[in-house]
Amino acid sequence: MVVSSELVVARNIKKRYQMGEVMVYALKGVDFTLYESELVVVLGASGSGKSTLVNIVGGMDRASEGELYFGSRKLHLAGEGDLTGYRRSEVGFIFQFYNLMPNLTAYENIYLSVQISRDPLDIDTLLEQVGLLERRDHFPSQLSGGEQQRVAIARALAKNPRLLLCDEPTGALDLPTGQQILKLLREFCDKYRKTVVIITHNTNISQMADRVVYLKDGLVEWTKENREPLPPEKVSW
Amino acid sequence: MLFWKKMFRDMLSNKGSYLACLVLVAIGLVVFMSFAIASDNLVISRDAFYREQNFAHGFIEVESMPLHRAEELSQVEGVEQVTPRVVEEVRVNKPESRESVYLQLVSVDPGEHRRVNDVKLLEGTKLKEGYWNTWIGDQFFEAHGLQTGEKVEVIIGGSSRELTVVGEAMSPEFTYPLRTEGEFVPNPEQFGIAFLPRDTMWDAFPEMQNRVNDVVFTLEAGHDFEEVRERLEPELEPYGLITVYPRGEQVSHFMLQEEIEALETMAAFLPVMVLAIAGLILSIVLKRLVEQQRGQIGIMKAFGYSNREVLLHYLSYPLVLAVFGGLPGGLAGMWSAGPLSELLFEFFHIPEVYVGFSPSYLALGMVLSLVVLVAGGYLGCRQVLKLKPAEAMRPPAPVSGGRNILEKCKFFAEMLTVQGKMAVRNLGRSRGRSAFMFFGVVVSCAMVAFTWHLVTEGIDRLMFYQYEEVEKYDIKMSFSEPTAREPVVREISRHGGITRLEPVAEVPVTFNYRWREDDVTLMGLPREGDLYHILDTEGRRIIPPEEGVVLSQRLADNLQVGVGSRIELDSPLLRQGREKVELEVVEVIPQYLGMNAYMSLQGVEEVLGQGEMATALFLSVREDKEPEPGMVSYLNDYYMESELVAGVDGGEDRIRQIKEFMEMAGEVIYLYVTIGIIFSFCIIYTSSFIILSERNRELASMRVLGMTSHEVLSVITFEQWFISFFAVIAGAPLAALINWAFAREFSTDMYTMPAEISVQSLFMGVLITVISIWSAQRFALKKVRELDLVEVLKTRE
Repeated sequence: MVVSSELVVARNIKKRYQMGEVMVYALKGVDFTLYESELVVVLGASGSGKSTLVNIVGGMDRASEGELYFGSRKLHLAGEGDLTGYRRSEVGFIFQFYNLMPNLTAYENIYLSVQISRDPLDIDTLLEQVGLLERRDHFPSQLSGGEQQRVAIARALAKNPRLLLCDEPTGALDLPTGQQILKLLREFCDKYRKTVVIITHNTNISQMADRVVYLKDGLVEWTKENREPLPPEKVSW
Repeated sequence: MLFWKKMFRDMLSNKGSYLACLVLVAIGLVVFMSFAIASDNLVISRDAFYREQNFAHGFIEVESMPLHRAEELSQVEGVEQVTPRVVEEVRVNKPESRESVYLQLVSVDPGEHRRVNDVKLLEGTKLKEGYWNTWIGDQFFEAHGLQTGEKVEVIIGGSSRELTVVGEAMSPEFTYPLRTEGEFVPNPEQFGIAFLPRDTMWDAFPEMQNRVNDVVFTLEAGHDFEEVRERLEPELEPYGLITVYPRGEQVSHFMLQEEIEALETMAAFLPVMVLAIAGLILSIVLKRLVEQQRGQIGIMKAFGYSNREVLLHYLSYPLVLAVFGGLPGGLAGMWSAGPLSELLFEFFHIPEVYVGFSPSYLALGMVLSLVVLVAGGYLGCRQVLKLKPAEAMRPPAPVSGGRNILEKCKFFAEMLTVQGKMAVRNLGRSRGRSAFMFFGVVVSCAMVAFTWHLVTEGIDRLMFYQYEEVEKYDIKMSFSEPTAREPVVREISRHGGITRLEPVAEVPVTFNYRWREDDVTLMGLPREGDLYHILDTEGRRIIPPEEGVVLSQRLADNLQVGVGSRIELDSPLLRQGREKVELEVVEVIPQYLGMNAYMSLQGVEEVLGQGEMATALFLSVREDKEPEPGMVSYLNDYYMESELVAGVDGGEDRIRQIKEFMEMAGEVIYLYVTIGIIFSFCIIYTSSFIILSERNRELASMRVLGMTSHEVLSVITFEQWFISFFAVIAGAPLAALINWAFAREFSTDMYTMPAEISVQSLFMGVLITVISIWSAQRFALKKVRELDLVEVLKTRE
């Protein structure tokens, strides 16, 4: 693995928000860096702030305090329009529960991100890569969980983003299917030289990462490099 | 393209509510287009007719004045042109007719070009001066199946005269010919217009030789009728001025104008109301959709779709509904304007000019529906703008739990089942939706109750009250002039079959109060009389007063007087030398047809200083109130050639005419009842749909626990009945208010709409609303039965 230049730099990121009647302090001063072409696992228990951190890095949310850079772009000062543009061109997302549009086919779900992308990848090629070309005209209700997640991956990759953020991508899947998904993510990172971030509470998955960041109570507790990441098919839980 | 597909598929998966909106949009546009175009058809036809026939701006009636003096009125400042005329009413000798048939003879100067109130000849030849030839008004012509060349026998001055029909004609003055102010619909079988050469009229009425009793005039541009009237009155008073009135008070014009205004009001008000309801329903549906698709919205934003793009996607829903509801509705409205216009032209006999296809109204209707629906849609989905992508991906904060104020009443709370408690707590959590349902049911209930009242009782009371409760006589014999009472009473009493006979005096008067005045007929009735009842608001009889006067409510409102006010009376029948008389208003009564004042017969005679008199006799001919077959004809024939007897009328033909009119009017009004029912249904259906989709999980859980579909449905239905109970209670006063406002707006001097709504109508409004609610809930039951329990409980939203 060749780690090149910094892609994302976060300094002293804090985040608080109101949830119903409760004020939640999700991040309390996080320093965090992502490099190009690496696969990072952000580990932490439920409520540690990992999803919040990744949401901020992905431009889906704003920090209450701190600085955030994507390359030379100052995201902490970006307006709503700039953040939209950032997500449109630089970031792909994958979620635990796939979040496909139920009223669009597999092909159409991927097209959703292609139509706003400047330099998209070919949809059928992606579908073939994820093994779903023959299911291109099926609706989410006609696909299994694993198949839906593969469509979600293809949708995220279709934009050809520099950064792929995956929030518990295997959380709703069984082991073999989960391994399949992780393999796809590893291939994307290696083959396309993209940065992949996987958020999970499953420590086993961190074995396949180039680097692991551990969050606890809204702060980075430790960071570790894996000199020899495990192949995804050997990751087990 | 992709978002359009998503939108159509979203709509298909919840088609019920979107269909409800679509139907309402279509209804709104149908009503708008048909009423607007029909109104335009009438207006354009009327204006063209008035222009072509030089319709008068002012009308004068006098006892009699020299022709040359009448012609000199054109020199009065502000008067552009005058046409003097002789106008007299005569009876037609029609032995086959049970009741008297009348013609109003109107003189025409055949040599004059472009008369004021010119006559349009539809078929036939020119009138010849000095000959007994006539043009007959088109309605009478058709009703009696006349042909040119036929003869019509009329009684003039006690003698029978034959008129040769040489043409069928129409005039803007007689598009809606009513013989008396107490009538509501034209009766062409009994009353029509005939145009005769002026010289022939003078031959027929020698006392009018070189004189006239009627003048119509047009105004010069920039001159006001009132200022011209003030200049004319002193010129006319020496000739026994009866009245000067503007075009706005001329009967045919007035009725036509009322109809046009009613159409315009309907075209403006009803579509906006219907579209507003559709917009409201859509805002609720879209709000729910955005809540359901929160995660999808998060994804779209996560992927880089801007707020504007996401919002525009959700605004495409109202756009599509406006187009797919508005376009067919608009086209259907344009088509239905034809039959509606035909119906109106049946009533108002004017040459027809049809607008037909109206792109401007269609465009306006489409714009209106677009604006209202997009506004409603925006209200529903604007929260899309606020949702941050990360926030959208999170599940929404749980709705705060806890008891609400209703449960704090222990007695009430203890009565509730668990389903009841769920329903009551949900009322407080979804306040917007509860309010929507409440106001929707209030409006539906009020609308149904009001229109039910209108069709079953309002118009019934308007039309029949006068003829069944007030006018108790079987036959009315009218005299051509006021006459000594005793001789006519003696004369008529000798005929067999007459069980009761009462003389009356109907006197044209002008009442003044401060600066207000009104011309009406004062009726003098016998104090012990039983053939004409004056009834108060409770339906109790009032004895006609000797001193003081009873006024109809409308007249009292016009003069702004009440019981105890002192008003001035003036009349052309006041004995010469008598000044205006001051009278006290002793009672104000409801009167639905016409506008009169009442005193005892002796009181009227005293006021006028004329001695004993009568202008008509009321007769009853049998105890059970059925006129003996042929009694009207008998009296008609017997006095056909009498100079004194102007006519003999029974009540049956009038009632038959009104029933025919009501059949036509009833169809239009039943339409409004149907719209009210559709409202209720759409509102309740939407409300049920929203509750079901919001609480799928809860309801499915209850089914899994073992509750039946009915038990589960009761959570929804309890909430709806609870709201509806209070809503129908509020609907009753709203219905009464609408009725009162309607009565105020649409009442005129010729007819007064009843302002009180009956309990029966309120009950029907409630009943029909309840049935609509129950029907809509059957659909909800079907959905509850179809809940896929495994699927609902397995998946996240």
